[in-house]
Amino acid sequence: MDKNNLTPEESFRIIDKAISNFKMNYKESAKIFLLWGWILTLASFSNFIILKILHSKEAYHLMGWYSLGIWAIFCLIGFTGLFFMDRKINKDKKVYSYLDGYIKNLWTVSAVSFFIAALICIKLEIAPPPIMLLIAGIATTTSGLLIKFKPLIIGGMSFFIFSIATTFVTNEYLALIVCAAIICGYLIPGYFLKYAKE
Amino acid sequence: MYKNLDPLLHSQLRLAIISMLVNSEKVDFTYIKEETKAAAGNISIQIKKLQEAGYIEVEKTFKNNYPKTMLSITDKGVKAFESYVNDLKKYINPK
Repeated sequence: MDKNNLTPEESFRIIDKAISNFKMNYKESAKIFLLWGWILTLASFSNFIILKILHSKEAYHLMGWYSLGIWAIFCLIGFTGLFFMDRKINKDKKVYSYLDGYIKNLWTVSAVSFFIAALICIKLEIAPPPIMLLIAGIATTTSGLLIKFKPLIIGGMSFFIFSIATTFVTNEYLALIVCAAIICGYLIPGYFLKYAKE
Repeated sequence: MYKNLDPLLHSQLRLAIISMLVNSEKVDFTYIKEETKAAAGNISIQIKKLQEAGYIEVEKTFKNNYPKTMLSITDKGVKAFESYVNDLKKYINPK
């Protein structure tokens, strides 16, 4: 393949072919959504069970600490899994698109926001779910818009609805709403992404 | 014939390489080889020409004891590509 006497039409065909053959591999993103989807679903469901048990034993003073402990353990497992998954993805990666970079930066900023929001909620003694789901909604919807993937956009927007819904329920049922939000926002779009055609 | 077109980009293989790089931050040499189906030696020669012109940057590293060559386009390369495309348009739609 090499020719120097190209016509303008041939040149455009080469440019068009190179650009249209440029496949973005978003199946990798599906793995990350599914990892966090399962981790956070298990975390929120465990949290709900623990809160139910503590509620029945009237051990209200322990509820906050148990919740914090559960989320901290599951997040630690999630970040450890993410570290190894990211290493494996980068090992076989041949193309680093600009979009990959934007999405990575978006989620890094969101992770920092999750952490700061958690600290603010602890300090102010308010329930974190409304703010957390809002941040998750912003990051997921934006990711969906960037890769033009409808299930992710819808999943991301469902976080906004669940965020509002958390303001209508009592503390112990917050965890159940979070669980439903994670299933709709991360897990279902994650599976759609996993089985989507290239 | 096409006097105004950048001779560095007006080549089938070099144009294909630069078109792939315009789309991305970094591209592996093996991806270019797979997509263009050209010989590795030929690609290396064209890459050297683009690199000498300051259109692309080449980053050579080792991953699991295997050499890995990553290519990226420079600002000069992006400008050259843009003006090449604009010049092409003039040939197709002369006004």
